Amino acid sequence: MIRNKSMKRATLASAIVATSAMVLSIVPAQANSTGVTATSIKLGVSTPLTGSAGLVYGKVPGAMRAYFDYINANGGVNGRKISLVIRDDKYLPTLAATQTTNLILKDKVFALVGALGTATHSKAYTAAALAKNNVPDLFINTGFSGFANKTKYPTTFMVLPTYNMEAKVMAKVIKDNFPGQATFMLAQDDEFGADGVAGFTTAGHKFTATPTLYPQGTMTAARAEGALTALGAVPGKPVLVLFGTTDVTATLLKAAEKLELTKKFTFLAGSVGADANTLLALGVKPTTIDGVISASFLPDAKDLTDPYVKQFIDINTRYNKGITFDNYVLAGMNSAMLTVQALRAAGKNLTRAGLMSAIEAKGSTFASAGLVPLGYSATSRVGYNGYWVSQLNAQGEGKPYGGKLVIYTTDSGAGAVEISTFVRPTMPKNGIPTNS
Amino acid sequence: MTQFITAVLTSLSSGAIYALMAIAIVLVWRSTRVINFAQAGQAVLTTYIGYTVIQRTGSFWLALVVAVISGAVIGAVIDRFFMRPIFKRVKSGPIVMIAPVVATLGLLGIIQAIIGFVWGITNQSIEAPVSTGGYKIMGTVIAFSSYNLLVLVFVAVAMLLLTLLFQRTNVGLALRASAYSPEIAKLSGIKVDSVRTLGWALAGAFGGLAGMLYIPGYFLYPNAMDLLLVLGFIAAVIGGLESLFGAFAGGMVLGFAIIFSTTYISPKLFFPTAFIVLIIVLLVKPAGLFAPKKSRGA
Amino acid sequence: MKKAGKVHKPTTTRKRLLLFVLFGWLLLILGDRVGELELYQGSFVATYALAITSVVLLTGYSGQLSLGQSALMAVGAYAGALSIFNAGWHPVIGLIMSALIAGVFGLILGLVAARLSGPYLAGTTLALAISLPTLANQFPILGAEEGIAFDVGPAPARFGEDFSQYKWFFWISALASLIMVFFIVNLLSSRYGRTFKAVRDNPVAAQLSGINVEQLKVSAFAISSGVAGLSGGLLVMLISGVSPSAFPLSLSFSLLGAAVVTGLYNLKGVILGGLVLVAIPEIADSLVSRIGGSDNLTTVLPGFLVSALLILAVVFTPNGPGHLLKKHH
Repeated sequence: MIRNKSMKRATLASAIVATSAMVLSIVPAQANSTGVTATSIKLGVSTPLTGSAGLVYGKVPGAMRAYFDYINANGGVNGRKISLVIRDDKYLPTLAATQTTNLILKDKVFALVGALGTATHSKAYTAAALAKNNVPDLFINTGFSGFANKTKYPTTFMVLPTYNMEAKVMAKVIKDNFPGQATFMLAQDDEFGADGVAGFTTAGHKFTATPTLYPQGTMTAARAEGALTALGAVPGKPVLVLFGTTDVTATLLKAAEKLELTKKFTFLAGSVGADANTLLALGVKPTTIDGVISASFLPDAKDLTDPYVKQFIDINTRYNKGITFDNYVLAGMNSAMLTVQALRAAGKNLTRAGLMSAIEAKGSTFASAGLVPLGYSATSRVGYNGYWVSQLNAQGEGKPYGGKLVIYTTDSGAGAVEISTFVRPTMPKNGIPTNS
Repeated sequence: MTQFITAVLTSLSSGAIYALMAIAIVLVWRSTRVINFAQAGQAVLTTYIGYTVIQRTGSFWLALVVAVISGAVIGAVIDRFFMRPIFKRVKSGPIVMIAPVVATLGLLGIIQAIIGFVWGITNQSIEAPVSTGGYKIMGTVIAFSSYNLLVLVFVAVAMLLLTLLFQRTNVGLALRASAYSPEIAKLSGIKVDSVRTLGWALAGAFGGLAGMLYIPGYFLYPNAMDLLLVLGFIAAVIGGLESLFGAFAGGMVLGFAIIFSTTYISPKLFFPTAFIVLIIVLLVKPAGLFAPKKSRGA
Repeated sequence: MKKAGKVHKPTTTRKRLLLFVLFGWLLLILGDRVGELELYQGSFVATYALAITSVVLLTGYSGQLSLGQSALMAVGAYAGALSIFNAGWHPVIGLIMSALIAGVFGLILGLVAARLSGPYLAGTTLALAISLPTLANQFPILGAEEGIAFDVGPAPARFGEDFSQYKWFFWISALASLIMVFFIVNLLSSRYGRTFKAVRDNPVAAQLSGINVEQLKVSAFAISSGVAGLSGGLLVMLISGVSPSAFPLSLSFSLLGAAVVTGLYNLKGVILGGLVLVAIPEIADSLVSRIGGSDNLTTVLPGFLVSALLILAVVFTPNGPGHLLKKHH
């Protein structure tokens, strides 16, 4: 009996604890301008800040916030100041789902901007009922082509070109510049690598050997040396396509140094895996980086002649103290700049639906650092739809491959890779958008 | 043929790395019956200390000494002020197995948070003290460098020294006795508590060595040795958890198995190989390859 | 709070049933009084409580230490998702499959595990936890990183317009957890269940008195796996789909920590454990956002707080808060 009572008490106690621990909050009927007041706009992002992924992408949300602070200091958007709630999801799907739900239900943000990761965001999207609540899901940091599916992700706007596009552009570069050379591909064994492999297949490129897919975290120094030894025996100067993160690129380049194979291969590193600053910080020799070919849609973060880069560096110095400017900071600020233009385009009477239709209508004309066109339209949620090809020098600067800037555009499907004459819009004065 | 030679050489260098961590785990296990998951944090923390020394003085070797000493101090402090109070409260039942696991995991989180706070969450790198370029044999560069050799030599020497310490000195006798039977050791006048702390200090020092040797071949960040801890633990279990030679052998077995399966079958087998090897070994010898005749269990 | 429970008078199944129904009814009322977010968090509490039950059952009652609960949850999650998404079965069948398939998987694993003691079992299950998710990427049917949807659909129309998805999640996870825990509690108080404790406390004596220790350990492993599998199924229901990275090793570790906070030797505290897993990161997050401060600090502080709590729990109440209530045993 006594045991029974104490059990009952324990159960009751837990229930009471459970109740009291939950801060009561009542959700209002979903207004279309949740998170917007006469003087403020609240945005949110769930992204990795800690853990291995935070190591690489942790700078992105801070860069967005720095740009918003800059805009706020210059009057905000239609008199409203932008705040950004940043939540750490450690790159884990479960945390992404709960953090994104928190952003919607607790922080009551108006829109999401810059969510990162395929496994994480695909879960978070449904779990937080973004579609049902019509929450704009802006400029997500993943190139997984599935997110462009408007039926499945009706409120999502991509910003990165898809991994498919990247692979197709690379296939063209190989075809045009390295005919007859053996080609190999080392790719991360997930949707990133799989999309890449699919892109090469679509482009009709056939690798000399089946692409090697390695699970994340397993490309150790020893494995990298093994992989390169095998390829080192191939005659000529084989092209090595690396579809992985920058730390893996670094590991492979270091293995090449060890085996004196740095000049044996032409390295073609994907945009995700070729951040020069990171490569140098990871101990890759400048002479090894010299000559690595990569694809990008933004200008090089070290290109001080680029007005956008110059402006962003200036903002970074003033509003993002202690953070070194690099490609990730550049990408974050660029997304923030697009966000500000989207908010402006949606007009003074800001609603969620209005924001999304504004991007569909005017998004392709937004000014941004991107050197390739933006593909937003009533039917397309694809952001940048192409790449330019760069080659790193020993200083880690990315210069146009072949000495001349060529912009390639394509899609994620069977469409051809075309050379575009796109010239990006001039930067608004001081990097402060004035569009409407 | 080149592929095969490279596979053997890289197996050796990975095996040596796994062995480094496995030995640190075995040292703690032998002295206190604890699987120390904080070892990854301790080792990285001491490596960060070493990194700071390198930044200041430019000397890798000085940094190595500092890292080893601070590793020992940190290990001792953790045992004295952290593990000992826990064991005072936890005496019997399954909680004895699980409490140290949870406590050391918590400690790991705290150490990584401290590192993140002090040094920031960014990648750093430490330059190897010797050449990382592969040796040239008959005109071909092989996948084995002075740096790989250095790691291998350090593992062998450290293992030898530790074995001598355990087998030939009174301290070693005390270490073994208090691990084997704390009660009897206490009765025979051994200060069991101090001896255990010594075990933690030894492991901490070894962790410092492991970090300073491993990181130049990799990168430095708060979670840098998490995966290594997991693989090192698996290697230690393969080796039987009790013997230093077992840890070395376990590391090598794991190194060879992973490299050969990923080279010749599929790169996707990296982690599954660890599981398969472990299962096979334990099905044949439930207490690992080099368990003492009479298994002492947990 | 010092009432000693010296008299062992087993609660009858009927009384227990009444208690569970009462508790379920309480939750139901509660569910109508709180907001969407609380319902969602409550669903996680129920799900984690169930996962912790599997740990308590395995470690606390049968003395086996597993670091692979995350892998078993993954097995259950994939089994459930495939049943619902690919086979098109009813979600209830899907959740049953979660428990069943994971249970069978655990049975096979348990046959190996029974031979292994303490750290050897820990090592094996750890290796399983890191290798199983990478395998999931190898089979196209498992949907790689985007994974497969785990969709139980909206609540039946007869519950009315206002019945939200989160409330539906809460109902399902709370009900499933209650039923499962009820089943486990009854099992443990049965004659068979009591032999678990006998084996844990003194395997040699148990063996001498004719108990088949190995068989008992295997069945504990299988049942625990089934419970973990169901919680895995519920977890991916809450995050709308399954993918390999939803089951990291750190999940196993969190569950162990929560089991210690809960108290390893009884199931009464599992709700508390679930609550801790959900609430602590929340509290840490909001604390950090309140104090502000330098970026390095705010980034690492939540991790620091969660770890610190874990340590405090082990240092001060290694046998769970329930232990403080009970003087004896």
